[in-house]
Amino acid sequence: MDDTLEIDNLAVSESEDELSLEQMIEVIEEAWLNEKFAPEILPHKTEIVELLLGQITHMEEQLQQVSSTDFKKGIHQMELDRLKYLVTSYLRMRLEKIETFFTLILKQEQQRTEKNEEPYLNPNEFEFAQEYEQSIKDHFESIMSFCPNVMDTEAQIISPNVNSMIILKSKKNIEGITVDDGNAENNDLIDLTSGSQILINYNSIASLLKNGDVHLI
Amino acid sequence: MDPDEVEFWAEKTPIQIIPSFNSQTMFLIGGDIGPFRASIPTRVPLWMAIHLKKQQQCKIIPPDWLDVEILTNVKEQEKDNKSFVKMPSEHYMVEAKLILGNAADDIPRVDEIRTIIKDIWDIRMSKLRSSMDLMIKNSSMYAAVDNLTLMEMNSIRPILPNALDQIYRMKTIKRGLTGRTQGTSILSHSKSTVSFNS
Repeated sequence: MDDTLEIDNLAVSESEDELSLEQMIEVIEEAWLNEKFAPEILPHKTEIVELLLGQITHMEEQLQQVSSTDFKKGIHQMELDRLKYLVTSYLRMRLEKIETFFTLILKQEQQRTEKNEEPYLNPNEFEFAQEYEQSIKDHFESIMSFCPNVMDTEAQIISPNVNSMIILKSKKNIEGITVDDGNAENNDLIDLTSGSQILINYNSIASLLKNGDVHLI
Repeated sequence: MDPDEVEFWAEKTPIQIIPSFNSQTMFLIGGDIGPFRASIPTRVPLWMAIHLKKQQQCKIIPPDWLDVEILTNVKEQEKDNKSFVKMPSEHYMVEAKLILGNAADDIPRVDEIRTIIKDIWDIRMSKLRSSMDLMIKNSSMYAAVDNLTLMEMNSIRPILPNALDQIYRMKTIKRGLTGRTQGTSILSHSKSTVSFNS
């Protein structure tokens, strides 16, 4: 029964400096945690998500050829289920944010395009956001037409609370983070050593998070 | 975060097992595991160890720290120290629960271990509660939480972050009223914010 299951991983890339599959999983795990706790939507990781999904499909196809009496099939299946959960849960969290903050997100995406910055949404998510916005608009127009001023747009923008408190773990030594503690004066400066954990408000560290110097937990 | 989700992260932790079967290396997406030789210890992720254990395909070798003497020592340190002591494992609570729950026959003095782990957890929780209390009273807006494990941090969510969010709002509004900046925009902002942590 040893020879029944010979499963090789797809050769992901020939070049040496590409991420290994293990590292890709780690990237998504970190992205999952970040997306879970960050109040706003974060830059997308579509390339890695798609490579991982490709691996999952590849593995699933191979598994179909394996007899179900092989006990190793169960283990492969379990790993697949874990990975699928990770990826789908990650994507679902992003969609949830898009549905909640669509007006703001679309506005920010537009500003990013104007400034030639990398978009935070991938093309599919962007399309979803636009369609979602359109259907919300249509819906309100059709049922709320008798109610004046309800579509007063500027006041209706739902935005995340970017000052919300989060817990982070630092990946390097970082000096001089300004803590916005809500008082106008005397903002404290703090230093982080690699591996230290701290409870702090999101606004103070948003840029560090997007650089990948810290991650949320 | 759900306790189930914390468990999901903890299940990645590697652990030693003694398999009772022979098998070649398995090529999982997350890395190669094995080869398995009957009665020769090998390292696998915890989720796989539990799976194999349930099918009676292996014995689990408990991690070094899952031991009455070591844990008693940790407990004493935790008692004597005012701050949080570094735990022997990042996920001690989940690991102990999974291993003791599924492989009790592989571990000596299970009941004693269970009691000590529970004691350690209780001591840490009471420290956590008093430091949260202090933090709110001082309305400090950041805190070092080194040595807290994921499960412990999760136990103060969402209550502590949300409470601090509210304090922050009150502070900024007060600042607006005393005539510094952006009075109304802060008010409308705080009305429409949605908190996203759960």
